[in-house]
Amino acid sequence: MSADVTSAAELKGCRVVLCAADDVPAGRMLRVVVPEAGPLLVANVDGTFHVTADTCTHAEASLSEGDLEGRTVVCPVHWAEFDLATGAALCFPATRALAVHPAAVEDGQVVAYIRGSREG
Amino acid sequence: MKDDLLALRDLDDGWLDRRVFWDRDVYELELERIFARCWLFVAHESQLPKPGSFLTTWMGEDHVLVVRRRDGSIGAYLNSCPHRGNRVCTAEAGTARGFVCNYHGWSFDLDGRLAGVHESAAFGREPTFDRSKLGLTPVAQLDTYKGLVFATFDPDAPPLRDFLGDFAFYLDVMLDNDEGGTEFAGGSITSVLDCNWKIAAENFAGDALHAGWTHASGAEAMLGRGVAGLSGDDTESYHVNVNGHCWEFNLDGVGNAATLGDRRIIDYLRANEARFTERLGPLRAKMVGSISSVNVFPNFSFLPGQNTFRTWQPKGPHRTELHTWVLVNRDAPEEVKDAWRKGAMMTFSPSGVFEMDDGENWELATRANQGVVTRRQRLYYGLGSDTAIEHPELPGNVHRGQVNDANQRAFYRRWSELLRAGTWDEVPS
Repeated sequence: MSADVTSAAELKGCRVVLCAADDVPAGRMLRVVVPEAGPLLVANVDGTFHVTADTCTHAEASLSEGDLEGRTVVCPVHWAEFDLATGAALCFPATRALAVHPAAVEDGQVVAYIRGSREG
Repeated sequence: MKDDLLALRDLDDGWLDRRVFWDRDVYELELERIFARCWLFVAHESQLPKPGSFLTTWMGEDHVLVVRRRDGSIGAYLNSCPHRGNRVCTAEAGTARGFVCNYHGWSFDLDGRLAGVHESAAFGREPTFDRSKLGLTPVAQLDTYKGLVFATFDPDAPPLRDFLGDFAFYLDVMLDNDEGGTEFAGGSITSVLDCNWKIAAENFAGDALHAGWTHASGAEAMLGRGVAGLSGDDTESYHVNVNGHCWEFNLDGVGNAATLGDRRIIDYLRANEARFTERLGPLRAKMVGSISSVNVFPNFSFLPGQNTFRTWQPKGPHRTELHTWVLVNRDAPEEVKDAWRKGAMMTFSPSGVFEMDDGENWELATRANQGVVTRRQRLYYGLGSDTAIEHPELPGNVHRGQVNDANQRAFYRRWSELLRAGTWDEVPS
């Protein structure tokens, strides 16, 4: 497995261990609540782990309950779509990007380097 | 008085009370006891090719949303938000992940479940708010027969196969003459007729008679000659009906198909006659494109040969919304499918030569009943009173001769039985 940010040395921010890599098989997502950042979404896209805010930027909804289609997560409530790598909102009704946190797999654990506010 | 009207006591003698086409309370009862209880055609499976495919249609005056769910099954729900009642889908057809009400943002997934609400914190604090009870209302039963999707609002309605009964034997003429099955050619046409829905339905149920007169000039335009007489030899033509479902036909093989004026269609039918025979036997193989018309009770009609499929959606006692599609064999060559689609548009679309002929007659036949004195005059439905026969191959009620009113009488008899029955148990089988 690789991570979308591979060099931990380049990472800035607060290192948080989210889960075991095995907890999130390829094509699946997991919601993890950490005090440092509120609910986070861990998604495994063909072995690459992405970590973003879990709450849709449009309405109160957990993206982890939505669909993972390639690198796109689809909100279960109004079907907004986000690019997990960039956080970009891909379609209406979402217009604001999702917070994206650098992530890596270290010793079999998915870790994120939390930057910015809890709001993300 | 009302019961007397609904009983249609003179029908067997060949007379019909005109009030069935005019009275508002008769119409309201039809919505309750026919459209809210019978199995109604809602879609062809080919219209819902993949998860998220949807269309909206009518079951009586109830607007319904028909969707292909994620597990591949088909669901149908009332297209009305349980919050304030607005439509949750305003499109005719398309592909969607779910449906969001335009009024207060309630959203529903493909299973009809309430997925989310705007200002969810306020609803979350409300003890009476239970998401699981606020999904879209599903139909009571949904089933398919060889590509056709039917639904009913009545949990006590008999299974679809029992509702169709032996009529399935006849439906196979259109739905199962080819191994690959059928599909609707793309698109659908909607038009409005100021007529009672039954006048259209009974025409397709049995009215071969009108073809040679009403459509004489249209036939001349398409074929260069009029419609041949149909009552000369009645040993090769029939009215058959089962549970109010009606098919009138002769065995000329291509009579209806020929009216589309396209050689490729005739060639296709001729080239495949042996294969039709293999699947259907020699008698039904001759019905595939023959001079014929069909109504599946109550309001789903089609014409073998022209391949126009349609629903007559009631919009009050004096108005009907007509929806049409074109059925083709999935494995037919593309150019043959195209020929059928265009041929049907030239003949049985709002601008088609035959559709226009019918519409004016049906509207005037409906509007005449506005006259209180006119309305007292019974209509004659007496043709073919002694034509019932037993046939070694054909199931159901069989009558010889397609110039006949036997099917129309059967249609109104079923209508009468349903309107007078409080429950399905009371409907004669």
